Amino acid sequence: MQKLVVIGAGMASGRLLEQLIEADATAYDITLFNAEPRGNYNRIMLSPVLSGEKSYTEIVTHDDDWYAANKVTTRFGEKVISVDTARKVVVGENGDVPYDKLVFGTGSSAFIIPLPGHDLPGVVAFRDLEDTSAMTEAAARPGAKAVVIGGGLLGLEAAAALRLRGMEVTVLHIASHLMERQLDPAAGYLLKKDLERRGINVILEAQTKEIIGNGRAEQVNLGDGTELPCDIVCMAVGIRPAVKLAQDSGIACGRAIKVDAQMRTQTPDVYAVGECVEYDGNLFGLVAPLYDQAKVLAKTLLGQDDSFVMRELSTKLKVTGCDLFSAGDFADGEGREDIVFRDPARGVYKRLVIENDRLIGAVMYGDTADGNWFFGLIKDGTDIADMRETLIFGPSYQGGAQADPLSAVAVLPPEAEICGCNGVCKGDIVKAIEGGAADLGAIRATTKASASCGTCTGLVEQVLSVTLGDDFVLPTAQPICGCCDLTHEDVRRLIKTKELKSQEAVWQELGWKTRNGCHSCRPAVNFYLLADWPLDYKDDPQSRFVNERNHANIQKDGTYSVMPRMWGGMTTPQELIAIAQAAEKYGATVKVTGGMRIDLLGIQKEDLPAIWHDLNQAGMVSGHAYTKGLRTVKTCVGKDWCRFGTQDSTGLGIKLEKKLWASWTPHKVKLGVSGCPRNCAEATCKDIGVICVDSGYQLSVAGAAGMDVKETERLVDLTTEDEVIEWTSAFVQLYRENAKYLDRAYKWVAKVGLDWVKETLADPATRKALVERFDISQSVYQHDPWAERAVPSEAVKFQPMADLTQEAAE
Amino acid sequence: MDTVLDAPVKTFLQVTEFWVPEGDRLVLATGNYGGLAAFEDATRAISFAKGEGLPGKAWAEQRPIVLKGFDGSYFKRTEAAAEAGLTSAVAIPVFDGDALRAVLVVLCGDDDARIGAIEVWSELDGLMMLDDGYYGAAKHFEWVSQHTHFPRGQGLPGGVWSASTPMLFRELGSGYRFIRADSAGKAGLTTGLGLPIPVPHDRQFVLTLLSARGTPIARRFEIWDARPEKVGHETAAILTDGICERDGPLWTDDNDTSPRRVTANQGNIGKVLASGLPVIVSGAPTLTEGYGSMVALPIYQHGAIAHIVSWYV
Amino acid sequence: MNWIDIGHIDDVPLRGARQVKTKVGCLAVFRTAEDEVFAVTNACPHKGGPLSEGIVHGTSVTCPLHNTIFELSTGKSHGVDAYTIDTYPVRIDGDRILLNGDAIAQRSAA
Repeated sequence: MQKLVVIGAGMASGRLLEQLIEADATAYDITLFNAEPRGNYNRIMLSPVLSGEKSYTEIVTHDDDWYAANKVTTRFGEKVISVDTARKVVVGENGDVPYDKLVFGTGSSAFIIPLPGHDLPGVVAFRDLEDTSAMTEAAARPGAKAVVIGGGLLGLEAAAALRLRGMEVTVLHIASHLMERQLDPAAGYLLKKDLERRGINVILEAQTKEIIGNGRAEQVNLGDGTELPCDIVCMAVGIRPAVKLAQDSGIACGRAIKVDAQMRTQTPDVYAVGECVEYDGNLFGLVAPLYDQAKVLAKTLLGQDDSFVMRELSTKLKVTGCDLFSAGDFADGEGREDIVFRDPARGVYKRLVIENDRLIGAVMYGDTADGNWFFGLIKDGTDIADMRETLIFGPSYQGGAQADPLSAVAVLPPEAEICGCNGVCKGDIVKAIEGGAADLGAIRATTKASASCGTCTGLVEQVLSVTLGDDFVLPTAQPICGCCDLTHEDVRRLIKTKELKSQEAVWQELGWKTRNGCHSCRPAVNFYLLADWPLDYKDDPQSRFVNERNHANIQKDGTYSVMPRMWGGMTTPQELIAIAQAAEKYGATVKVTGGMRIDLLGIQKEDLPAIWHDLNQAGMVSGHAYTKGLRTVKTCVGKDWCRFGTQDSTGLGIKLEKKLWASWTPHKVKLGVSGCPRNCAEATCKDIGVICVDSGYQLSVAGAAGMDVKETERLVDLTTEDEVIEWTSAFVQLYRENAKYLDRAYKWVAKVGLDWVKETLADPATRKALVERFDISQSVYQHDPWAERAVPSEAVKFQPMADLTQEAAE
Repeated sequence: MDTVLDAPVKTFLQVTEFWVPEGDRLVLATGNYGGLAAFEDATRAISFAKGEGLPGKAWAEQRPIVLKGFDGSYFKRTEAAAEAGLTSAVAIPVFDGDALRAVLVVLCGDDDARIGAIEVWSELDGLMMLDDGYYGAAKHFEWVSQHTHFPRGQGLPGGVWSASTPMLFRELGSGYRFIRADSAGKAGLTTGLGLPIPVPHDRQFVLTLLSARGTPIARRFEIWDARPEKVGHETAAILTDGICERDGPLWTDDNDTSPRRVTANQGNIGKVLASGLPVIVSGAPTLTEGYGSMVALPIYQHGAIAHIVSWYV
Repeated sequence: MNWIDIGHIDDVPLRGARQVKTKVGCLAVFRTAEDEVFAVTNACPHKGGPLSEGIVHGTSVTCPLHNTIFELSTGKSHGVDAYTIDTYPVRIDGDRILLNGDAIAQRSAA
């Protein structure tokens, strides 16, 4: 095993070890040196430790157990005296360690301004736990005063923390506003106000002259004569890379250890990572690029390709209650534009800097919710031309509050039924969750909810989310449309569970975001309501597509096609004469369809009631060639005529059509009845197909012959016509009650499983109940829509409401 | 999730309940009575008018109230409380602007073994002064607190006051402001939660819960930020700070991991977001991070929930 | 102003429309769920779909042929391929719908 020696246990080298060990724990025998007598902790969280809002143990990232478990040999509290790159040996205070690969992670040390008195006891930096402890100790003296030199990120975090610890704090800053490298003057002003509200005294453009005291720091004197008595001085003006060891070892350094994009120094087998490196002329102080470097170096050490890439950085200030975010470049410049938003009442300031339709900088104070989104736009160089006007309002700008997708389920009472198949209510599911069921599988195992047809899966998942919170990750489901966050299945289930019987009830109770839906969701909701509550809800023509509202198919030129029903494909000379006369009278084009009927094309809307009237007179009714409902029942001639026929297929087809016609379904329904297995009526690619055999009837379902072509699957074998009609009605009702709107039967069966359909219909009581519900619905809806609209009072609605072509122009 | 409960501990707060206005009275919404069935029964039988009893007084006076010793006081359930061994109570009103949303009441028993503190601080002449507090057996700490005041930005009360946000302090013994640290350490106080209590008038109130290891107020604390300034347009909250005996620190260094985020109706915190009311859950450890019970309290600001604090024991 | 009475409010179904023939072609007169009325060109500029046959939602209508959505108050369509249809002043007086004849005359003269 190769020997890897790492000098310095900081955040970058700590991350390097994690990545390396995770990728290949056996690649290296690792020795870690650290001058501090401890391992790696999260240095950027020192300020909350100083304030008392975090404890040291909370910010330790690798404790002794971690090093032991990962077989890292630690030499903590031991200084490295030198490195001999020729012999490949690290010389520590307690002895030599040979290496195959060496990593410098020596980090940085605080920059101390060489003022008079800078070396007095009581002058501390803010870099490590020792500094933090020294300041905590100083804060423990009653009435203690602190002077913080430096109004950058680190200095201000120290100042706020010391204030919380009870000290009187003064911040000295040399520039004209705080954090001038990350903030513009306006944000700097708000920050100063905020700090002053916390009782922190801020002096800008401060020229610090000297620190004086008798044996320890007792006062800071400024160039303008101001005297600031103090018990401790915290110098937080910047950092300088700790590179003396590297320089002494002959590693090439500029301002820091020079590395390439693979984190290699110019000396073979020697690498560097973190604040001690210089890459392409840049030094690094924030944590994000250090983590990137660690990731790259781990790969380099494992012989994999990766390159370090400089990226934009963002800054936040870790002072509780102080919301500040800055990223990118926000200096004024030629061709740069600002978007500024201020809300003085809330103390909010936001500024975006745009150059060439790209966001290049963002400063926010008081409202940082969209910080990461803006940061993403900066990093990705997104073209923001299209959203420029609303950009500053962030990604969720929609002008209104967002609906809450879980609210409908949250307000359900415990007794509300979630799973109709197994009669499981919300309370049962919540009890199961309280008992430890934490996912869908466990709920199915303990309660059977969603274990049968599965259409309530979405609701069960929402109950899990409502009960468990973010411990349960809610899968993203396809919502019904932009008007509502619920899926079709959820809407259907909730209409039943909550007994919603009107559109208004649905909009309100299920959190619709629009006034009354849209062309996509409203026809679906209209169908669900009429299918579930045939006696309570009245079909709404204004929630139907034009074809279903006008009971004729609109053609691309705006005219309509008219198609009378021919029961089982049977017609008479009288009917044909009436059709021929109507075609002539209204100028129709005549076409024989694939569904054994005659189509009259090119009828004007105004003429529809009249042609319907004429066809009604000859005994014909609507063929519903335009509906999500029963279309045709295709038949062969059957045993009366055909030498192979086994049963009266035409007669059965007519009976089925008379039973099912004018029923609304999620999508169109086509039937076929073939008199023998030769299948002349092509029954095995219909939604429902009947094949007559000597012993009776084979009923099969879920075929398709559209964009998908699929053979039907056998549902059941039956012996009498009455049984066929009963099973067919029950199947159609089950489909109506459960399928998603616009799912053909085969799609629905694929979702719920044919086994579930078989099992459900096999129970005589269930089957009987389904047929009863189908009959109730038919008692309302089985009427000829043509006859209802051909009467004069209704026919007038097909005419223009006014004709102003005769009005005088003046 | 680890749902195995540790050995039962003696808790500092024995009863937690909240009351909601219904018409002109306060009625019980929910409570955790920790097995004090007789007291629970006595509670379920009553409601309070404005100004009546402890919850009614917190409503009428628009401020948090500490009540020690029920005998002869306006406390309505004195007899049942005495039988249950409860001797002190704190009522915390939850105001959304001028409107009262709820009153949270916690009750404690007086015995020498229970250490902890629940304090109400209020602003007087630019300083946070102790209004009143209940300390159990931490008598010396009580005396120290009575003689301490906090300017803006200092200590837990001064910090909460100036930052207008709940704060969580660790290792109280080693630095919860210089005057009290020593005494807090001796009393065994470890963790302090401070929260602003907004009321319709200008006066500033800060409530602190100081927990000791032996008789904890809570073994897990959480602070959630729900301000649109932090979470955007969605009704949601992010976990900004927290500490748990079992899970350790609950905050994330956001250079690395995003904080936990819940939306309305998602779990207990989501329930607070959706209802705008406190939540008390007990007897379902899987819903309370493996602990026996939890309390979540909303804090309003600018007409909406700004923060939620929760504690679990 | 020349306001022409074109009919009773109930002649137009709620969340529906009726056609009105004029010299400038066929108009569609809409009535929303809140009893607001709008008059626009009946033909969709995309493929001539009869907007009066579309589904009315909020103050919008969806063209029955290809689902282009028009905001009735402005005549502007949603989405990237923006279309605009003519809108005509229309108002309710009691329970009568009045269409502004001047606007139609101007349009036909133009």
